[in-house]
Amino acid sequence: MAHILDDYAVLSPLRYKNNWLKISIVTFGLLAGVSSNSPLVPFLVAICMSFATLYFAKIPISFYFKLLAAPASFVIVSVVIIAFFFGEGAKLFSFDILGYTLGVSKAGLNMALLVLARTLGGMSCLFFLSLTTPMIELFSVLKATKLPDSFLEIAMMMYRYIFVFLDVAMGVKYAQSVRLGYKDFRTSFKSMVMLGTNLFIRSWEQGEKIFVSMNSRCYDGKLTILDDKRPVKFSELILTLVYFALVILTFYFTRGASVI
Amino acid sequence: MHIFEGFLPSPWWQLWFVFSIPVILYGMYKLNKLVSARRDVIPLLAVAGAFIFVLSSLKLPSVTGSSSHPTGTGMAAILFGPGITAVLGVIVLLYQAIFLAHGGITTLGANSASMAIIGPAVAYAFYKAASKAGINFYLNVFLATAIADWVTYVVTSVQLAVAFPAAEGGILASFTAFATIFAATQVPLAIMEGALTALIMKYVVQIKSDVLIDLNVLSTSAVAKLKEAME
Repeated sequence: MAHILDDYAVLSPLRYKNNWLKISIVTFGLLAGVSSNSPLVPFLVAICMSFATLYFAKIPISFYFKLLAAPASFVIVSVVIIAFFFGEGAKLFSFDILGYTLGVSKAGLNMALLVLARTLGGMSCLFFLSLTTPMIELFSVLKATKLPDSFLEIAMMMYRYIFVFLDVAMGVKYAQSVRLGYKDFRTSFKSMVMLGTNLFIRSWEQGEKIFVSMNSRCYDGKLTILDDKRPVKFSELILTLVYFALVILTFYFTRGASVI
Repeated sequence: MHIFEGFLPSPWWQLWFVFSIPVILYGMYKLNKLVSARRDVIPLLAVAGAFIFVLSSLKLPSVTGSSSHPTGTGMAAILFGPGITAVLGVIVLLYQAIFLAHGGITTLGANSASMAIIGPAVAYAFYKAASKAGINFYLNVFLATAIADWVTYVVTSVQLAVAFPAAEGGILASFTAFATIFAATQVPLAIMEGALTALIMKYVVQIKSDVLIDLNVLSTSAVAKLKEAME
């Protein structure tokens, strides 16, 4: 099981900051990263957001880097493909393999660097949000949107049941592994099947039970949650505006620039 | 096959949202209709969504030692149909992006298109067609799940290829490059997941077959036949 980032978010010192402020910071970072044509902007976003996550939200550095390494395999493979296939013009270097000439052009390398920087920037924005804001806080934001109630209901209940089932799944897995259920490929496959089946049947029964129990407590298809007022502090506002200004200025000055 | 945050450049991530949003809205409309007719489905669907999430976060035992996760979408498509799977899939993808840092927000449109919409829809169509043709139920589940995975991965390769066409040979050349390299992990993974899902279904038929009848996955006579074959 991968780390559930929500664990950190619940204990985060930034948890009780204004949700809309956090969301606008993250959305701004994501959009700036995606629409920029120079790798510098997403790179700057990555540095600022990582700093905020490590310094303000007090996330352990080693854990944070482990998280950033998670998408690495997908991103590195894709970036290498882009570097080799994208872009025309003179090759910076090339070699022959099985009769084909593979080479990296200037445009290809620039594109690959840009994509790498964008992914880094985007991931650090996302991590900032997920490490400081538990899903519970985001539900009140989702309530303010015009999404249908049934959709939100399902999302909220799903959130709760993810934890219930993770608990069940981890318990079963633990019990299986102390009985050598994962000693080799064949047994682990068999154990995995049993775990999946049990989870399915258990979740089904749980679903029926929860409906009965909620109905007997006058459930009418709407869960209401309390939305606290959390004013934005002046210092937070200034810091955010400085960050926005910095990113916009970098965006403006690096419009046509390329690294290589 | 999640495309990570920031990976798709500007016109493409918006275009995939344009593709996904109407389908998801349609799914929500269907869902709303279902919910107003039968209110008890809300908790059941929520629990089903949580099941997909937990299933997709378990590590599959893998021969090469690399970690790989089942997607669970093929199974959901067989059980709940493509419309509801699309809605549940979007919520799962959103949670995966926020809890596990798999996928992202700007790429949510593209990921929904491949994992929550096109893959499950093709799997569902295959499942229905094959069960009409009278193919063995477990083989059918195995194939439908594997196909859901493969279609997902082909669509992801197409998404990457149209966003980053090769200089020589254009979209087709870069599609081939992405598809061949990802095939190394995705082809065995899909087979594993297919086998896993088929075996899970076997146990479900054995222990709690009434669920499958309730969901309209199998008819009463088909279940009786499968149970007979087991004894």
